[in-house]
Amino acid sequence: MSSAVTPLRFHAPLVQEDEARAGYYALLGRLFYAGPDAQLLGTIANADEIVAGAEQSALASAWNALATAARAMEAEAACLEYDEILVGTGKAEVTPYASYYLAGTGREKILARLRGELLGLGLARSGAAREPEDHIAGLFDVMRHLILLGSEDGALQRQQGFFERYIAGSYPGFCVAISKSEKANFYRHVAHFAESFLMVEAEGLKVF
Amino acid sequence: MKNYTKSKLSRRTFLIAAGVGGAATAAAIAGRALTPEEPKTVASNDKRRGKGYQETAHVRSYYNTAKV
Repeated sequence: MSSAVTPLRFHAPLVQEDEARAGYYALLGRLFYAGPDAQLLGTIANADEIVAGAEQSALASAWNALATAARAMEAEAACLEYDEILVGTGKAEVTPYASYYLAGTGREKILARLRGELLGLGLARSGAAREPEDHIAGLFDVMRHLILLGSEDGALQRQQGFFERYIAGSYPGFCVAISKSEKANFYRHVAHFAESFLMVEAEGLKVF
Repeated sequence: MKNYTKSKLSRRTFLIAAGVGGAATAAAIAGRALTPEEPKTVASNDKRRGKGYQETAHVRSYYNTAKV
């Protein structure tokens, strides 16, 4: 028996685009979970521009606009904005919970189904999170996780299914609600970027 | 069964055209800024909470990026 140990590889290497997708979900999940701190804001501000391809890319312009907005934004103001729009005292102006956008009634059913799915995926809320699982930030984090599992057919199918059941029907209403908020400034750009990215996602997962 | 592999190239082509490919750098940088703290002590009260949930590695990574 050889003593050389070959580490087991659980996941196939990701294609570059999928790494990017996971990164975007991570970023959006973070930005929709709480306002950015100075470091995050600075990183977005200094991130490379996306150079649009032959045709003008909506995603590229949305990303570049977000970076520009980040340059002009103070972290404190961005956090205040987040709290005012998505937390609020009493009722939030915009709810970050997907099931509200997915159904007028029967939110509990959606939540129960989602919990069952997460369980099947070996996922659960971390101890620190008290928000119900259909928080858009949580859904984005699930997508990030599913993308990191690999670029094979099975992995893509799981992503496609989860996206269609929980994100496809909720993100348009959510993003529009933020854009419409009079309090939104930095988050208008975040919402616009989210919308552009998720539109690409909706198409990209269909192509597959 | 549908041949998914066949369409893989068109998916990548689509993503690149949409700007996701070019975004790799930007996304990675942004992703790095929010690299979550190492999953620290899985607090003892997690056990109490964990009625129905299995504590797998994935359990701990869920919401990590979202954690402030």
